[in-house]
Amino acid sequence: MGEVIVITSGKGGVGKTTTAANIGAGLSKLDKKVVVIDTDLGLRNLDVVMGLENLIVYNLVDVIEGTCRLKQALIRDKRYENLYLLPSAQTRDKTAISPGQMKKLTSELREEFDYILLDCPAGIEQGFQNAIAGADRAIVVTTPEVSAIRDADRIIGLLENQQIKKIELIINRIRMDMVRRGDMMSVDDVTEILSVPLIGALPDDEKVVIGTNQGEPVIGLGGEAASAYLNICKRILGLEVPFLDLNTGNGFFSRLSSLFKKD
Amino acid sequence: MKRSSVSIARNRLRALVTSDRVNCDPAAYEEICRELYGALSKYMELTEDNFQVEINRTQVIITFLGEET
Repeated sequence: MGEVIVITSGKGGVGKTTTAANIGAGLSKLDKKVVVIDTDLGLRNLDVVMGLENLIVYNLVDVIEGTCRLKQALIRDKRYENLYLLPSAQTRDKTAISPGQMKKLTSELREEFDYILLDCPAGIEQGFQNAIAGADRAIVVTTPEVSAIRDADRIIGLLENQQIKKIELIINRIRMDMVRRGDMMSVDDVTEILSVPLIGALPDDEKVVIGTNQGEPVIGLGGEAASAYLNICKRILGLEVPFLDLNTGNGFFSRLSSLFKKD
Repeated sequence: MKRSSVSIARNRLRALVTSDRVNCDPAAYEEICRELYGALSKYMELTEDNFQVEINRTQVIITFLGEET
């Protein structure tokens, strides 16, 4: 039986879709059979981030309405063994599906996949309710900014009300140089306020942008963000992986960056 | 000395998150602290330095440091 994980944030633009794409690719690298589902109806993005936009024939709404069979809508990612995408519908809105229908779909997918990842839309409306309906577990993505953390806190409250027992946090786009000079909240600052367990901290890595330009998850390009994403995937599997130090500026990243610093 | 922007962010966030959690005005948190302090100090010895109120999603936690030895 597979596990259903929703990737959510409240605020838009913090990296949910990038995270969904990379965790999907990472888990498949770790020999798991994975499907990532874009639940953002009307604003389809996950296919573009994954570079699969030209392969779409059917979408999530087609499956739910019975226009096609589930298997016909799943797009296989040729670069990763056992990674599939179920794209969203670009021309429909969030009322086209209901939480009950999503629950039914995810329980069908559990039979065949080890992990079902749901890329949730921003906001707390029906799209969010649809995405969390069938989830066993949630990963909340935030950045070290006041507005993103505030929204993450509300989302965590709503997830707790939905009886989602396992809620974990990813802090994205950390800039160690700014943390060091006291101009960006550290991993500890953010986790203390949100008080949910941390599953990953990602440095602000320009390779993420390059990957998105190319339609290639950054996990395939190597570098800091790639290894941080792979560590998150291992933690999802339950492995103990030590965190890279993104707090004090005395960790690996700062030592690395100090090597390249032009003073 | 310039105050670091992180400490401003932290304080603003604490106020925002607290008011979101209990669904009240951001200024209400200060008021809650003041009233709880007033109520408890009738019965026990408190100082403002060792008294703290934290509101999380399911609890209101009042912390104080006991008698100093």
